[in-house]
Amino acid sequence: MTLNTVFFSGLAIFIIALLVPLPFVRRSIKGINRISQWLHILANMLFIFLSLFLLITGQSLQTTLYQIIPSAGFSFVIDRLAAFLIFTISIVSLCAGIYSLTYEKSAPENKKCLMASLTSFFVLSMLLVVASKNTFSLLFFWETMSISSFFLVMFDHEQKLTQKSGLFYFIMTQMSTVFLLFAFLAMYSATGSFDIQPVSGISSGMKALLFLCLFIGFGIKAGVMPFHKWLPYAHSASPSNISALMSGVMIKVAIYGILRFVLFTLGPELWWGILILVFGSVSALLGVVYALKEHDLKKLLAYHSIENIGIILLGVGLYIIFQSFNLPDLALLALAGGLFHTLNHALFKSLLFLTAGSVVHATGTRNIEEMGGLIKRMPVTGMLFLVGAVSISALPPFNGFVSELMIFQAFFRSFQVGEPFVVVFLFVALAMFALTSALAAACFVKAFGTVFLALPRSKEAEKANEVSMPMLIGPAILAVLCVVLGIFSFQIISYAGYDLATPDLLTVGVFIAIFLVLTMVTVVLTGNRKSRISETWGCGLTSQNSRMEYTASGFSEPILTIFRPIYRTSKLSQRSFSDKTESIFRNGAGQIKTFKLFEERIYMPVAGFIQRLSSKIADSQDVDLDTHILYAFITIVVLLAIAWWVL
Amino acid sequence: MNSFMLYSVLNTVFVLLVSPLFISLIKKTKAYTQGRRGPSLLQTYFLIVKLMKKEVIYSSNSSMIMRITPYLNITFMLAASLFVPLLFIPALSPGIGNIFLFLYLLVAAKFFMALAGLDAGSTFGGMGSSREMTLSAVIEPVVIIVFATLAFVFRTMNMHEMFTQSLGTSILINPPVLLISLSLFIILIVETSRIPVDNPETHLELTMVHEAMILESSGSNLALMELSHAIKQTLLMGLLINILMPWGLAREPGLVNIGVATAMFIMKGVILAIVVGLFESSVAKMRLFRLPALFMQAFFLAFVTILFELLNRL
Repeated sequence: MTLNTVFFSGLAIFIIALLVPLPFVRRSIKGINRISQWLHILANMLFIFLSLFLLITGQSLQTTLYQIIPSAGFSFVIDRLAAFLIFTISIVSLCAGIYSLTYEKSAPENKKCLMASLTSFFVLSMLLVVASKNTFSLLFFWETMSISSFFLVMFDHEQKLTQKSGLFYFIMTQMSTVFLLFAFLAMYSATGSFDIQPVSGISSGMKALLFLCLFIGFGIKAGVMPFHKWLPYAHSASPSNISALMSGVMIKVAIYGILRFVLFTLGPELWWGILILVFGSVSALLGVVYALKEHDLKKLLAYHSIENIGIILLGVGLYIIFQSFNLPDLALLALAGGLFHTLNHALFKSLLFLTAGSVVHATGTRNIEEMGGLIKRMPVTGMLFLVGAVSISALPPFNGFVSELMIFQAFFRSFQVGEPFVVVFLFVALAMFALTSALAAACFVKAFGTVFLALPRSKEAEKANEVSMPMLIGPAILAVLCVVLGIFSFQIISYAGYDLATPDLLTVGVFIAIFLVLTMVTVVLTGNRKSRISETWGCGLTSQNSRMEYTASGFSEPILTIFRPIYRTSKLSQRSFSDKTESIFRNGAGQIKTFKLFEERIYMPVAGFIQRLSSKIADSQDVDLDTHILYAFITIVVLLAIAWWVL
Repeated sequence: MNSFMLYSVLNTVFVLLVSPLFISLIKKTKAYTQGRRGPSLLQTYFLIVKLMKKEVIYSSNSSMIMRITPYLNITFMLAASLFVPLLFIPALSPGIGNIFLFLYLLVAAKFFMALAGLDAGSTFGGMGSSREMTLSAVIEPVVIIVFATLAFVFRTMNMHEMFTQSLGTSILINPPVLLISLSLFIILIVETSRIPVDNPETHLELTMVHEAMILESSGSNLALMELSHAIKQTLLMGLLINILMPWGLAREPGLVNIGVATAMFIMKGVILAIVVGLFESSVAKMRLFRLPALFMQAFFLAFVTILFELLNRL
């Protein structure tokens, strides 16, 4: 009873937070958005409390808000999986909420009101998608989630690029809804109920079709390649606190959909696992490969989201494969790895997006080639970003390491699978995963190195200042969680009641601490304690400037060269000469162009086809009234014929 | 737990003491093949002591990354050293021994070293970091596959258990171990910045990778970096030795056991160091972009091992 009260009061506070600023969007009063933001934080705290309680006690919560017709309405059930996702969503929203208190300070008051209201709407929708008991309510909140996030992406709607990104996002997200709608209606016709329950007694062809629809529908929202193209656009165009929410948790809601429907509603088959594994591997590898060439800090992070969604899908795919070979221990390990990575990625990616937001806020640019030396100007932000970078690069003893370790261990033990072909396939996927993980580390050395280290590369970066307190506290909570979830992972997993044979990182953590202290003591006691500051050695040049530093493009150049077949880089150069023998150079231009495989080969042809088709249809509409009546007549005849044939 | 404390102290002290020796020995071997006498075998010890006595010079551009990296580096290496028993195999501990954790401790050290390379704003440092991370990106899938193969062959992911098993078998009846040792040797060469991948003796901007990253380090910081590089080499040598020729490694602590194990490990290490030195002297440095081909050989051998094991069990 009390749990329901907590749930409903959480909902109520969210709704108040949503409604309070709305009357003031036109004529704003200063500080009204603050009320909404604090209510938002409070509501998130309630949901953190609720989900933690449900996770620890293992209880589940069932409640109905409003029944429209007997078979469909807004009913909610929060089991362990849903509680886990709710915890993930609300912890990230809480930190992003704290961060937002002073972010966008310079924006006009009415926009701030709108943003506060929409953010609450967005987070509330995500929470209710996860909590939904039936597909009707799930799809309803799925749509409100899409729409509210679309408006948030369009926050800076004056800019051309934002308009394009917003539109792109909107179309993709509607496509996802179409696939889901079809799947849900098919499920309804099979089971006769909107409730999310195991589907049985349908033909295997229908089941395969359902799976594909669900996978594409949720895959688009999750940013699985090749449905990912909206993600780098939308994440970089939206304000950073929104990027953190979208990248940290919204794409996880799609993962929740895949888990809930593919794993637990339809009974998965082996080839589904292999398909998911292939999509996961490709997303992971290409995500990081594209991130490496990206110099827009937020786009770089967005591509890493695609990578990490791929990693989560690896866990899901492995779960299905191991299940169908009847290896429950391994299946559990893989799924736990995927789920734990869902939480971890939510934490470190929103940490990275928030700190990246601070950097962009301080320097006024998203291009990392114009940053540099920021760790001396923004030390706390720099350290927080470093924690995120170390976590995402899967270095021990941080949290990203633990979840990748679990998936790696599941791969390592895949020799237990009886089918040799599957084993070889899994080892190939393992090699791709390993490459992904190594490239991620390289990419974050590049990102951290160019943004925070060495000398500033522009006037703006030189004048950057540390951001205000709330913009440090929000990310700091996430950073602490990244460390705690890493070092105490073994204890947490044991406490949750699983034995996954992961190493106890606390032991290693203690040893690291002991060795660190011992080394410092030794150096202080035996070494020379003097130190002095001097110039970097510049081969005899007396003063060093930022043009001598390694740039981000320079840093990633060798990797780009090795992976040239993927990038399909083409170098164009035009030169003209003053003489016939072409020895006296007059002028010229050079260009390095990377081929946009997905945009040029998949998206544009499809868009072109639809464009041509719709212009044909548009022609047939430009006619007089008689023809329109004829159209209506034909439609009715066709419908009658279909009805007669079906019934 | 008491035995584990004894193990961690003994193993750490032994690694610290023996590592510089192998560095000097490889130098000596290379010098002999070039017709020189080369430095004394104690030269690396002298170098570390000398560097400890020197003052540290920081670049005015550098940040705390430069200041903490040497300490983090040696710490990660020492933590990783617990995973490779050189004298005796301790009782199992829940946190120590996972082969994957071992690898990522090495990667963590590399990550911070690469950041330190970028910290001073020197072109050399950036070049070194860029090359190091590129090589690391290409070699890591190979290392993972090799380690997965080890896990496959020995049916465990705990390195201590692997070594216990390899103690009980002979390579003659276990051909996959022989194959995988070749891959491990290539990994040893790559990860310790040896020719044909990198040249530890050069300071020429075209060829240096590892040296370029630590170019701005000085004094005790440089001493720590040099020492951790030496430890890394010993660990990878120890891994290869324990898999390929584990004889002498004690199953439990004891005065005689440890005495024998120490003598045996130094002997095997000396042989391997000479082999590495001879190998380095007999090949030329490869172009950076040709290196993936070398790594593919290790990759291929690992895959052959996997197929071998799969066929074995069919």
